[in-house]
Amino acid sequence: MLMPKKVKYRKQQRGRMCGKAWTGSQLAFGDFGIKTLEPGYITDRQIEASRIAITRFVKRGGKVWIRIFPDKPVTKKPAETRMGKGKGAPDHWVAVVRPGRILFEMEGVSRADAMEAMRLASHKLSLRTKFVAREGHI
Amino acid sequence: MANATVNNTLEATPRTATTKNAARRVRVAGQVPAVVYGAGKASQTVSVDPRQVQKILYSQTGHNTIVDLKLPNEQAKAMIVDWQYEPIRGHLLHVDFKRIAMDKALRIKVPVLLKGEAVGVKVDGGILEQVLREVEIECLPADIPASIDVDVTELTFGKLIRVEDLPHGEKLKFLTDANQMIAHIVSVKEVVVETAVAAVDATAVSTEPEVAKKGKQDAEGAEGADKAGDKKKDKK
Repeated sequence: MLMPKKVKYRKQQRGRMCGKAWTGSQLAFGDFGIKTLEPGYITDRQIEASRIAITRFVKRGGKVWIRIFPDKPVTKKPAETRMGKGKGAPDHWVAVVRPGRILFEMEGVSRADAMEAMRLASHKLSLRTKFVAREGHI
Repeated sequence: MANATVNNTLEATPRTATTKNAARRVRVAGQVPAVVYGAGKASQTVSVDPRQVQKILYSQTGHNTIVDLKLPNEQAKAMIVDWQYEPIRGHLLHVDFKRIAMDKALRIKVPVLLKGEAVGVKVDGGILEQVLREVEIECLPADIPASIDVDVTELTFGKLIRVEDLPHGEKLKFLTDANQMIAHIVSVKEVVVETAVAAVDATAVSTEPEVAKKGKQDAEGAEGADKAGDKKKDKK
């Protein structure tokens, strides 16, 4: 599971995720990719599940890049606990994404295979996504 | 290899208001705000038809196409040097045109196209990875190539194509570092089907990374734990 090696503070506030993803909104490494159309959190487990779905589909062949990193801790209170008594313990890690953000990229496969792999990956995510290709492949 | 000096005419309308709201009004009217600068002349804010600009960007010569930019009081040879897309829908937001002199050398980026199927992919089953997609060159506007084509059929594992391996001409001066890698063959990792035990191990990984200010955090953590312990006792 992806997570930071070292952090300055154990817990974070939620923050805002309004606006669009101006950085990281264009393909940088591969020929194909998926971008999100909604703002939200993508958990470390979702990223891992998507990665596995892509690599299992393409079996051998294809190089995958993960363009997001879950660097935000999300805390959770234990079950059946009364409210109060401070913030809960860190539970998992999320990547904050804004609409337009490229999530995964891949190269070395046909367009049809890339589309199917990305479709499978998008089913592991809780946000609406869109398949994107480099201009030369349109 | 097509040449970039294809005659394209682009009509631009000057605009005076340069505010954000004015730019939005231009977009609502079906135009794209743009700016023209270069050649020692003053910059001019204009608006252009996005379909014509897209046509140029998607042409064989791409952004290196030399266009005849028509303004009411001026006609200049220009090139698209920068353009912005909206990240979700992908429509054009803004375009930068630069006036060019046909007798002066330019610094531009030209795409590198890999031609053929590499031996490393066909026989050895690797993946052809293109690391560098554009190279910076210096040449006269009339000599700008649409792309630089490289034959990769002989490429195998352990071999690289570098900038120095590109077809050099007398008219083109390469500015990108000659040792920089353009493409290579990478091996494919076999996917190992994970067992249930491995999955359990993955979930057991701690979610707590190292905290930078460890001493202070530890002290706080210990205090917090003590307080919690005391409160529990009180409850009982």
